Amino acid sequence: MRKRPVALWAAAIFAYAFLYLPLVIVVVYSFNDSRLNAEWVGFTLDWYRKLSENNEMLLAAGNSLMIALVASLVSTVLGTMAGVAMYRYRLRLLPILVLTPIAIPEILMGVSLLIFFVMLNFTLGLVSVALAHIAFCIGFVAIVVRARLAGMDESLVEAARDCGASPWRAFAYVTLPLIMPGVIAGALMAFTLSIDDFVITFFTAGAGTMTLPLQIYSMIKIAVTPEVNAVSTLLMLLTLVLIVIASKVSPSLLRAD
Amino acid sequence: MKRLIALVTLAAALPAFAAKDQLHLYNWNNYIAPETVKRFEEQCKCEVVQTYYSDNEELLAKLAAGAKGYDVLVPTSNAVQALIKGGQLRPLDQSKLPNMKNVDPAFMNTKFDPGNKYSVPYAMSTTIIGYNDQKMKELGLPTDTWAVIFDPKYLEKVKGRVTVLDSSNELFAAALKYLGYSANDTDEKHWKEAADLIKKAKPYWAAFNASSYIKELTVGNIWLVHGYSNDIFQANQDAKAAGRPFQILQGMPKEGAVLAVDNMVIHKDAPRPDLAHQFINFMLDGKNSAELTNLIGSGNPNMDAAKYIKPELKALPAVFPPKDVQAKLEQLQDLTPAQRRLRNRMWTEIKAGK
Amino acid sequence: MKERIGKWLVSGPPLLYLIVFFAAPSLIMVLASFRSPGEFGGLAPLRDPAGHLDLNLESYARFFGEPLYWGIFLKSFWYALATTLICLVLAYPLAALIARSDKRHRDLLLLLVILPFWSNFLIRVYAWMIILGPNAALARTVNGVLALFGAEPVPLLFSAFAVLVCLVYVHLPFMVLPLYANLEKHDQTLLDAAQDLGANAWQRFWRITFPLSLPGVYAGSALVFIPAFGIFAIPDILGGPDDSLIGNVIKQQFLETRDWPFGSVLSIVLTVLALLLAALAAWVGRRGVGRLAGGDA
Repeated sequence: MRKRPVALWAAAIFAYAFLYLPLVIVVVYSFNDSRLNAEWVGFTLDWYRKLSENNEMLLAAGNSLMIALVASLVSTVLGTMAGVAMYRYRLRLLPILVLTPIAIPEILMGVSLLIFFVMLNFTLGLVSVALAHIAFCIGFVAIVVRARLAGMDESLVEAARDCGASPWRAFAYVTLPLIMPGVIAGALMAFTLSIDDFVITFFTAGAGTMTLPLQIYSMIKIAVTPEVNAVSTLLMLLTLVLIVIASKVSPSLLRAD
Repeated sequence: MKRLIALVTLAAALPAFAAKDQLHLYNWNNYIAPETVKRFEEQCKCEVVQTYYSDNEELLAKLAAGAKGYDVLVPTSNAVQALIKGGQLRPLDQSKLPNMKNVDPAFMNTKFDPGNKYSVPYAMSTTIIGYNDQKMKELGLPTDTWAVIFDPKYLEKVKGRVTVLDSSNELFAAALKYLGYSANDTDEKHWKEAADLIKKAKPYWAAFNASSYIKELTVGNIWLVHGYSNDIFQANQDAKAAGRPFQILQGMPKEGAVLAVDNMVIHKDAPRPDLAHQFINFMLDGKNSAELTNLIGSGNPNMDAAKYIKPELKALPAVFPPKDVQAKLEQLQDLTPAQRRLRNRMWTEIKAGK
Repeated sequence: MKERIGKWLVSGPPLLYLIVFFAAPSLIMVLASFRSPGEFGGLAPLRDPAGHLDLNLESYARFFGEPLYWGIFLKSFWYALATTLICLVLAYPLAALIARSDKRHRDLLLLLVILPFWSNFLIRVYAWMIILGPNAALARTVNGVLALFGAEPVPLLFSAFAVLVCLVYVHLPFMVLPLYANLEKHDQTLLDAAQDLGANAWQRFWRITFPLSLPGVYAGSALVFIPAFGIFAIPDILGGPDDSLIGNVIKQQFLETRDWPFGSVLSIVLTVLALLLAALAAWVGRRGVGRLAGGDA
């Protein structure tokens, strides 16, 4: 009979508590009757009301969400391809190109992309931001997928091929489901990176483009009011709801069966 | 198929419907009152699209890399200097700016922009001392001198409760003023003196902080800051709103301080220079200019604005510096690349050393 | 032949994308490290007034001639290393728990890990400022205990401790997710068999689970160490006067000093160092894995 590992549970719960303590503060302070995110004063729904009238902030939040969805989708596809390629083939250039965006300081990448877009006379806007985000997200997905593939049982794939499946079918029906937890993990990371990015977004955003981080960081010198807590809370809830809906709609997508 | 063509045509025509006249304003956040923007939009029948930066240097870096699409920018004087020399600005058509006469001549025709060819003053702030009046009285500390930030004999009493700005230019300027030199002094020996002064005081400081010191002051975690007058004014408003037993007051150091004048300029590739000029002239009207001061307590170089500003704000030396204070205020000049490099080397040493 | 087509089909698209939107722009800045800084910021023109190419090694010479910057690199290395190790210790039980849960709960538990990180970064850091503030419960407890021993009170906020805690916090999901992806496929029957043969929990972990999870460990460590090495925002907001890291210095080159060539040099050194360290760890890992797991891993 398998014993429930108590130590494991205790450590895991401690980790969850660590993760959620600041978040509880974020959500609770969205109801704080004080302009500053510093001390609890009293309860109010004012900030949510102010948020509903703050078209700028809402638009910025919407932009961030859109960019994050697109960027995570594209980078997950490209990143999975890269991860699979790095695992299966002896490649020299791709691993470097995949790993370097993670290492390179964001400010360098932001400035270089801006210069690049200007050189190409590419109008800055939401698209330029999305393109930039995809570039640095691919690496995260690729590394996770590759780690997932390491030590994968090749015999399953070989068996499929022996039964006459084409390489594509072997991939789609055997490999892909097996690596799906890695792909999902990568997609979640890509989404998180994109929705919160500031430095690269600052340099590649157009003259009329505001994303949520840009909006919030510009408030850093005056005060990051609880309106930001409110929009963060709502954004989290919204994303959670979207994902729950998506998983109900296509349950097979998330299962690694 | 027909529906597809109709949709595509409609989509292509949409921009024509959506193309309202737009003015792209690249500004500090909360540096223009929402009512002012609305009033301008009604007057010009256009839309003001605002994007924000929180630092002059961010603005300079973005423009240096070639970004465009902005009409009006609001850089501080030393950034204006850099932008003019870098050929990034469009000369102002002064015939379109009749309200320019409202600006106090003391702030016009500066060495940053002789003849105001490219810029017009918008608002200003000073970099001074902010303090918790209760604590400073308790500890018997002076609040009108930089010594309280730099001298260990005072710092001992507030160890760990002081923050200074995370800006090499601002901190060096304060140190130089304290030592009796000009804030724009470029003598390497004097800079070394300033650096040594800073290093001696550093162990007593809680942090180099340019962003969250307002709230730390208001909450009472920090008792003394080197900060911007607008921020300190705001901290006091917040302290009052939170019902604190203390006030956050501005201390103008007797050795002098840095004055930062923010100016309106037009980018050389501005898509709508006509709207830009309209906007600038609009903001030079006393009533419009006063709204920002009433909102955040910023200094105001507009003489016509005085009658619209709340009386308690008019009394603050940081908002309308009296002549004797003005004499000791200095605007920071932009440094040459070699000077910037030297200063950064000293700054890195200060911040890295134990 | 089919193999080659397959190789290009799979590696082609990501390769192409990264060459266009990463390699090409980066080469611009690599070139910039050999140029002179512009008078008012940015870069000086490529050709000087005489028409000659203005390329030099000045910025590199400045960097290699100054031990000051090496010291900062070292400090950043230690912070990144500490962050990675702490993340590993915290993340492992969490990832293991999720991996072993029922399929029904697994996705929810995973989502719960990453959910906090869809709030804004700044807000989360501000939350830590509240938790670590001098008047908050944590600081009062710690300093109360210290006072019992007659020690001086320590600031929790604006200190190396605050920076480290926040670094760990911000990077934790990037350790949990790769670990989870790897642990999820571990065969429970292996562990059951070992238990039947008399292995206790620690032995099962150290001799079976951990070696098999090494690819996940390395992936997670890379995704934590490498970004942490170059971070600047957290020391800026939470750090004390001595907690400046190389990321902060690089940011200053592009913003305050407007010396892009030097900023590029520092960035290139940072990138190369980070990649070298990752390669080193992978090499050590490959040799170590062989010893630990006694074969295939």
